[in-house]
Amino acid sequence: MQEHISLSELVGQIQDSIQTKFEREVFWISARIMNVKKYETNRRCYLNLEEYQQGTKTAEMKAVFWANYYSEIEKFEKYIKQPFKDGTEIICKVKVRFHKVYGLNLDVLQIDVAHTLGTLELERQKTIEKLLKENSATIQLFDGVFRTYNNRLSLPLVIEKIALITAPASDGQRDFQQEITKNKHNYSFLVTEFLTTIQGDNAHKLILEQLQLIEKSEQNFDVVAIVRGGGSLTDFKPFDDYELSAYVANFPIPVFSGIGHDRNQSIVDLMAREHKTPTKVASTFVEHNFEFENNLIELKEHFFELVKEQIQHAEDKLNNAKRIVKLSSPQAILNRGFAIVMSNDKIVIDPKEIQLNSALQIMLKDETIYSTVTKKTNNENRFDI
Amino acid sequence: MKTDLTYSEAFSKLEELVEQLEEGNIQLDKLSLKIKEANELIAICENKLRKIDTEVKEAITAAATQLLNKKSGE
Repeated sequence: MQEHISLSELVGQIQDSIQTKFEREVFWISARIMNVKKYETNRRCYLNLEEYQQGTKTAEMKAVFWANYYSEIEKFEKYIKQPFKDGTEIICKVKVRFHKVYGLNLDVLQIDVAHTLGTLELERQKTIEKLLKENSATIQLFDGVFRTYNNRLSLPLVIEKIALITAPASDGQRDFQQEITKNKHNYSFLVTEFLTTIQGDNAHKLILEQLQLIEKSEQNFDVVAIVRGGGSLTDFKPFDDYELSAYVANFPIPVFSGIGHDRNQSIVDLMAREHKTPTKVASTFVEHNFEFENNLIELKEHFFELVKEQIQHAEDKLNNAKRIVKLSSPQAILNRGFAIVMSNDKIVIDPKEIQLNSALQIMLKDETIYSTVTKKTNNENRFDI
Repeated sequence: MKTDLTYSEAFSKLEELVEQLEEGNIQLDKLSLKIKEANELIAICENKLRKIDTEVKEAITAAATQLLNKKSGE
């Protein structure tokens, strides 16, 4: 019989060597995560760390997040706003561990979230640059604000027909519908739903398909709302897609986005009119119509004010005329102590017509005096004040 | 006197008369006649004005009612 040792002895020796070499060491490595299996209840995650060069796999190791380090995944998803999923390139801190039964493994202790954020931001910037370059007529950047064909489209005076892109039976759908149907002003809207998945790898294509359907529809929608509820796992990626962003920027009906996030803006947000949440998008529509109604009420009130003013002005002028007419009547003249002098039943205007010794009738307030002219003198400006 | 004058026509005739009265251009023997004419014009204007006022008030009430109905969702 050949001299031999047991497998466990060999494995023990391998373990010793590895432990001697790696026990007290940790390494920061860059790798692509694949075959990710998350067990949230146990707070464990098993995965492969892989490396590729020019499309060829050049390294692969099994790795694991133990319960103590599972929070690293949650932190990643919170800050990156993407699920921790296959294909993501990460930089992480690992410790080499060898188990006699399970073999060689890397324990992941930490993820460099800032690095992934930076990579994503870089990708995002590239997409934005491409949008600006390839759509220079319809997408422009002024003082940090994107002016697109879409977000500069004017809104109709009253919003009535709404195309709603959302996920079926989602929080976003419910919040939007609730706000729009129970609005405090009792306005009625016609909401047509275009339901699709709006998270996941294909979401951007599915949303784009819905936009195409809306464009072809004969309903002549006033606005489009793309809404999604919040939640812990908000996947931004579909809304940073170049094709979808470009389509929104050039879309002929005003697009409003409410995709449930408050930290960052997706590129679709930048191309459209952004209102953060489904509820806010719906209330914006309600407020838009309220503003119109307010203007209408103001216009009506102003109009009637002007009409009233005009009537008042006419009344004032008429009253003034009435006063003058009243003061000018012969009776008013007599009431003020003046007399009307008549000769042969004709009113005397020119005293030169009156001869000495002729008969005159002097009409006073209540009586007429019959008299004879005995003397005539000049008034010598007696009433010249 | 024509009673189918418009408010503007009636009022401008009245204004002419008032101007003559203010300037003392009407001889006393014609004054009574002019005053009578002026009073008729005043009556025409007042009637028309009252009618316009009522019509405007009705229009305002109608508009307000319409708004109220809309707001209460009727």
